[in-house]
Amino acid sequence: MYLGKILKILVISIVLFFILFPIFVLVKYSISDRESIITGGKYPEPFWPFSVDLEIFNILFGRKDFLLAGLASLEIASLTVLFCLVLGAPTAFALVRFKIPGIGVILFFLLSVRLFPDISAVIPVAEQLLRKPFSHLPSVVLVALAHTLLALPYTIYIAQGVFETIPRDLEEQAQVLGAKRSYAFLRILIPLALPGLAAAAIYTFFLSWNEFIFAYFLMFKETTVSLPVYLLRILSWAPQKNFITAISLMISVPVIIFTFLVQKYMRTGLTAGAVKQ
Amino acid sequence: MPGSIKISSLFHQLKDNFLILIILIPALLYLFAFLVLVLSYLFSQSFSSGLPFLAMWEDPEFKKALVRTLWFVGLGTPLQLLAGLILALLVYKSFTGVGIIRSIYMLPIAIPALVTAITLNILFSYPFGHANDLLMGRHSFFPQIITTPINWGGSEFLSLMLALLGKVWRDMPISMLIILAGLQGIENEEYEAAQTLGASGWQQFKYITLPLLTPAIMTVLILRSIECWKEFIFPFVIAPSYPVLGVLIERLYHAEQNPQAGAAVALFLVILIALTAGIFSYGANFIRKRLIRV
Repeated sequence: MYLGKILKILVISIVLFFILFPIFVLVKYSISDRESIITGGKYPEPFWPFSVDLEIFNILFGRKDFLLAGLASLEIASLTVLFCLVLGAPTAFALVRFKIPGIGVILFFLLSVRLFPDISAVIPVAEQLLRKPFSHLPSVVLVALAHTLLALPYTIYIAQGVFETIPRDLEEQAQVLGAKRSYAFLRILIPLALPGLAAAAIYTFFLSWNEFIFAYFLMFKETTVSLPVYLLRILSWAPQKNFITAISLMISVPVIIFTFLVQKYMRTGLTAGAVKQ
Repeated sequence: MPGSIKISSLFHQLKDNFLILIILIPALLYLFAFLVLVLSYLFSQSFSSGLPFLAMWEDPEFKKALVRTLWFVGLGTPLQLLAGLILALLVYKSFTGVGIIRSIYMLPIAIPALVTAITLNILFSYPFGHANDLLMGRHSFFPQIITTPINWGGSEFLSLMLALLGKVWRDMPISMLIILAGLQGIENEEYEAAQTLGASGWQQFKYITLPLLTPAIMTVLILRSIECWKEFIFPFVIAPSYPVLGVLIERLYHAEQNPQAGAAVALFLVILIALTAGIFSYGANFIRKRLIRV
């Protein structure tokens, strides 16, 4: 019995190490001084820097191309959230309220779109969006349109679960009291659904923030690109390891924080609708 | 007739909810239009002049990429299932600190795939990097295994294995969550009954956990194998010299300026994925029937 317990703790610890080590390495290189990174083979790279040096972040935030890439990423992600909520939330509401025969088929279709390989879809989408009339739009809008394609099924799916938890009576009672349908929607449904929709929005935001393939194809010839594409581009200059890891951290840290914050919320948002059925 | 009542009530519903139906259209149209656009583009380009879809079978690069992708899927799918199973079994029963451990086990999914791939590249860099330092015996706590540093990116086998490692590492939490949901669906009474009958831990796992977990396992297998077929970022960053199908599509489009050939490979990938999903679903049904008979 004790042996089994010790074995289990051992395996848990090994997996913990396996998961945490790459993340630790990212942090370690970002705060390393020059001697810890460029060893010239005279001594092994240390697992903790000889002296902690945060200079790389100063350099990074003084670079115009990095700041522009960050701004582009923020713009793309915000636009994607906007498109997804404007298109997706009403659709989810309609799917819940109007008992369409075959709603299951529609939902299945929505989610199965996501099984379609991105790398197969990206050439047709890029060929379409980089041609007139779309090509007149700013590149951030084009990327956001493509990201909307990826995130919209999830937005509808999550929002649908959210609306299902709101009883229909509430809306009907408002109508009995003389509220118009649109008023009931705006003043009663939306406030109630807001927390769940916020979870959907955050999920969408980070899907777009992380996305690489569509941004890479659509911004191939642009000078200002999104953060992940920027990160890939600077690899070709063969920069120092701490420069690469610092940018990597800048991309990852917001996602890590929000994954932890939303984790619990997302699960309740997703399961609340399922239980009621 | 019940049928006509149904139709007339549907008509009433339609009339009452006309506005709501209109609301449905934009989002579905947006998704549907792009789906049609993508499929029609892939088909028309794949069978345009010169029939790229047939011509690619003569291309040795395509054949190599297909073989690499087959290995990637063949090794990656069971590895991902194994990783998911191990993680889920570790955090399934509650103990002090299980919440924190579960959260940490979820971490990889929060790291963007691109960042994971680049981190692996740094760890396994050549000639000086942590992996080479360790294997060369440069640290006092680890024995020397090799005498010359390994050029990881220069070896087809090693670079693809690294790409696979990255893929498995990053997607472990997804498999874990699916299997965890499957495990939580198994009633505790089943185990209690088995214990009363004197079943050992391994017997309980073999005769209760595993069969009842089959649907979750099949879901993991379907989703993960599809993910492996369409994988792009990890091989693109870690093994760019040895393209799998996904990387080949990018290369045909950007480096070789040949969107038709790219579309042909892309269409082939879609067909492969549809076939995989079909075969696995059929297999899942088959296994379920077998289990019921037993």
